[in-house]
Amino acid sequence: MPDEIYFLCLLHNVGATSSDRSLTLDEISRWTVMEPQRVRENLEKLINTDYIQKTFREGSERYHVTINGIRKVLSMYS
Amino acid sequence: MLSWEFPPRIVGGIARHCYGLTRALVKLGHEVHLVTLEFPGAPDFEDVEGVKVYRVKIELGHPNFITWTFIFNHFLEKKVASLSNQVDFDVVHIHDWLTTSTGIAAKNYLNKPMVCTVHSTEVGRVQQLRSPDSYMIDGLEWWMMYEAKSVIMCSNSMTREISDHFHLPSEKVSVIPNAIDTSEYKRNVNKEAVKSRYGIGPYEKLVLFIGRLVPQKGVEHLVRAVPLIVKQHGEARFLIAGDGWSRGHLEGMAASTGHGDKIHFLGFIPDSERVELLMSADVLVIPSIYEPFGIVALEGMAAGVPVVASNIGGLSEIVEHDRTGMLAYAGNPESIAWCVNKALSDYRYSNWLIQNAKKKVDDVYSWEVVAKRVSEVYEKACKR
Repeated sequence: MPDEIYFLCLLHNVGATSSDRSLTLDEISRWTVMEPQRVRENLEKLINTDYIQKTFREGSERYHVTINGIRKVLSMYS
Repeated sequence: MLSWEFPPRIVGGIARHCYGLTRALVKLGHEVHLVTLEFPGAPDFEDVEGVKVYRVKIELGHPNFITWTFIFNHFLEKKVASLSNQVDFDVVHIHDWLTTSTGIAAKNYLNKPMVCTVHSTEVGRVQQLRSPDSYMIDGLEWWMMYEAKSVIMCSNSMTREISDHFHLPSEKVSVIPNAIDTSEYKRNVNKEAVKSRYGIGPYEKLVLFIGRLVPQKGVEHLVRAVPLIVKQHGEARFLIAGDGWSRGHLEGMAASTGHGDKIHFLGFIPDSERVELLMSADVLVIPSIYEPFGIVALEGMAAGVPVVASNIGGLSEIVEHDRTGMLAYAGNPESIAWCVNKALSDYRYSNWLIQNAKKKVDDVYSWEVVAKRVSEVYEKACKR
């Protein structure tokens, strides 16, 4: 499985599936136990493919899985 | 009824199955409550043509998938427990392993029978159990069937697969196929307009695949067949609708055939688009290497498109070779190409397949027929 899809699954499973449950880069790094640089690279790939959306809240960049991203993740398990 | 997916949360065939079955059960006079997972934009509760649908918020997550499923089952269970204070349930019906723990808990505290429908199995999906997660899922599937009073399988091939693997007693098993709502396909569609939306000209032929982009769907074998099809039918264009983790790999493979400009990956498509595409296609290819049922074959047959499917599992029970469609050798691009070329070359033959296929779908695979049989399973489970 490509690294960014594995990463997308982790984000989905921890519950970052809507803007009110979005996470900061640091929070994602802690949840996924990935270095911030690797997190950033994966996020960029997933934003480009419309699986992750970036928002700004409380002065920080936050990320959550889009509907397309949720479907992408769930397609692996059904 | 418990299901991890229900429209608009559509992942595989389970959502469509539950959507069709629950509405048909209501028409037969049953009171149906369906508990499922949340989805962005979908209401927490809605009445879908008499079906009471509850979407449960998952308030806690975990990176590991299996752990996540146990967490969401906890929230499903809370919802069922709360509903049971207002509703006197007679049967608990679950679909696949994902809602097993809620189903078993509900069965025990409600003291009511549990029925499960098996849509696919882990050993079938991955072909061979290797990872700890796969062994865990396999164990949960066994547990689900052990605890269930009745087990519904969607095809005879599925029954053979499961009975052998799980040593399931035959008296527990009922084989009831999937069904579709054929009324969706009884409307007029401007095929040229649909094709042109995808850049396909009126004289070009549309070869369609719809499904998840995962290895079990065998899309790589269709991609490998493309050069053999284009050699005979330069006017063929290929649309791959659906998403999945192997999409990137398949896109790379498509480009390497030298015909990348003729193969388009559409990603997930909504249901309305799905019906229009099926009704506008010249051939529908289902190249799966594992398919316990294959509901997309029924959709293609109802939509009036010649179906080329792998000669495996449920597909070989739905499609009668040379009568309601064509069966290709699974995992064999030459065989797929031969069938597609035949369908594209011989209009009268294709039309004959289409007429036979439509009749078979109407006669055998309607939700009304299937819901009656599921209803009989419920009655039997309640009496025992």
